Amino acid sequence: MTIAALFISLFSFMFIGIPVAISLGLSSLVTILLFSNDSLASVGLKMFQGVGSHYALLAVPFFLLSSAFLSTGGVARRLIDFATNAIGHVRGGLAMASVLACMLFAAVSGSSPATVAAIGIICIRAMVRAGYPESLAAGVVMNSGTLGILIPPSIIMLIYAATTEVSAARMFMAGFLPGIMIGLMLMIAIYIFARIKKLPAQPWPGFPTLMRTFLAASGGLMLIAIVLGTIYGGIASPTEAAAVSAVYAFIVAVFVYRDIGPLKAVSWRQEGEALSGAFGRNAQQMLMAFVRLPTDSDMRKVVMDASKVTIMLMFVVANAMLFAHVLTTERIPHEIAELMVGLGLEPWAFLLIMNLLLLAAGNFMEPSAIILIMAPILFPIAMQLGIDPIHLGIIMVVNMEIGLLTPPVGLNLFVAAGITGRSLGWAVRAATPWLLILLIALMLITFFPQISLFVPEYIDSLRGY
Amino acid sequence: MLGHIFEKVEEGFISLLIVGMTLLVFVEVVLRFGFNTGGVWVEELVLHMGAWLILFGASYGVKKNVHIGVDAVVNMMGAKLRRRVGIIAILLSLLYCGLFMIAAWNYLAKLYLIGIEMEDLPIPSWLGKSILLIGFAMLGVRIFQLLINVLQGKSTGFVSHNEAEDALEEIKDQVVETGAKKPGREELDSVKNSSGGGGS
Repeated sequence: MTIAALFISLFSFMFIGIPVAISLGLSSLVTILLFSNDSLASVGLKMFQGVGSHYALLAVPFFLLSSAFLSTGGVARRLIDFATNAIGHVRGGLAMASVLACMLFAAVSGSSPATVAAIGIICIRAMVRAGYPESLAAGVVMNSGTLGILIPPSIIMLIYAATTEVSAARMFMAGFLPGIMIGLMLMIAIYIFARIKKLPAQPWPGFPTLMRTFLAASGGLMLIAIVLGTIYGGIASPTEAAAVSAVYAFIVAVFVYRDIGPLKAVSWRQEGEALSGAFGRNAQQMLMAFVRLPTDSDMRKVVMDASKVTIMLMFVVANAMLFAHVLTTERIPHEIAELMVGLGLEPWAFLLIMNLLLLAAGNFMEPSAIILIMAPILFPIAMQLGIDPIHLGIIMVVNMEIGLLTPPVGLNLFVAAGITGRSLGWAVRAATPWLLILLIALMLITFFPQISLFVPEYIDSLRGY
Repeated sequence: MLGHIFEKVEEGFISLLIVGMTLLVFVEVVLRFGFNTGGVWVEELVLHMGAWLILFGASYGVKKNVHIGVDAVVNMMGAKLRRRVGIIAILLSLLYCGLFMIAAWNYLAKLYLIGIEMEDLPIPSWLGKSILLIGFAMLGVRIFQLLINVLQGKSTGFVSHNEAEDALEEIKDQVVETGAKKPGREELDSVKNSSGGGGS
């Protein structure tokens, strides 16, 4: 009865257009009022715990802030230049460079649709100009853009970690290898395709050019190094690393790259300017820029963009925590788990069913909402069946990636349709062949836990656990 | 005009909270690693600032359409049915705000009676958590405004946040520059139906 009331009310609320956060909170409240003895005061307490007691979740606003600073066209352009110079000279190299650029940009920005937009707008056009079919160009970018939620730092992983109380740092370690693996699988597939279709290669730019573009891109690349280095090294928690990366991203975007903010388009050294003169002018301008920061329209926009997504995500999280609380106090996941174990369900069969369930859910809900609703149910069952919590998290994240590419909610499809000016149906057809690679990767990751667990366990062994 | 000023105040407060939180954690990290000092109170303060950010921002989010929702079903309905369903959705959301305001009031009243302070800060606990009541009251007011707009025919109800649209908005200068379609919600809808064209 309770379980039916909870889920029927949740899905009816969502389907009549009530925001996901309110649907979660209201269905939980209704269930509590009808079936439990909890007082409303304890609901108030739970709600405050949901918004104000998860220190690990504070990494979300900080990472969003850092990504808002570095998700500019300028950073995308530098990463693409570097990637093209690094592997563009191979057959099909421009497409492979797009994959690499997507992986790097995804690690910096953490958002899949933003990656497809920023990389796609440059790379799809460049590939078409170089003689690649447009459907291949768009398909590759749409698929590699999904790596944004798998390659750390990833917002979805933070949400999974908070919901299931596993370590966010370990999730960040676990996502690394599967992310690289999927990137390489896409590149190999492109290479084979390029051989068959005789796709062009770019000229080798020479080592000095490669180094120059690497240095130009290093402002963004360093962010990945700082975040992953401090977390993997056990120096900082994800929350601390995120705060540092937000400040770093601000400095790089405003004072070094000068893509946005008060120093926009001010060059480091004007033509014919003496070095000492340039130094003095820059120092003075930077000082002035600090004063102008609070009134700068770019800065206000970046901060508000990050705030809006923070509010949206965290408000869903807070309500989902109440939902999860109702689930646990009513022992719903435990009952399902006992039922499944009683039926003699093998772990692999459970994982297969879970994949199908998540892929279906990915068709009509956003990744964060799916994780928040499904993780509290699936997690206890998986624990009963002896599945590693980190492994489970990575499987869920890879499922969410595929959900970004399936209509009607597939965000990456909308972005690709938007930048190519084609129909959504065209985008679906362009993405599908490469989607198969993601499905193969999902199967590999599901049935070989070591792909996910190797890095965290290796780091553990280094630290001597 | 008054609404415009209030919006600026809201945005200012939200920006102040998120920037303040970032700097506090950043400075705490620097102090701890650089100088081996740091305050335990930072964690509690930043957690409370986070709570204020989310609950204060929730109503701002309704105005700016940032909350996510499932609109696949609603989009299939005809205009008349959609309006009715939209009104039901809003009334249920108002019920949600009302229930949470009662919950918040009961909880805060208990805290006030006990009279405890926060763990590391000399502030009464109920005051730090008062945003629970303020936030849900503000959310209720915003949703009530939405109801009035729907009744006057100015709006069809909740508009779900669209991340794809945001991403396209970010690059719109480049899109215009390279001669592609300028994206927007209507454009995206027409893209869905048309067979496309242009592009390359």
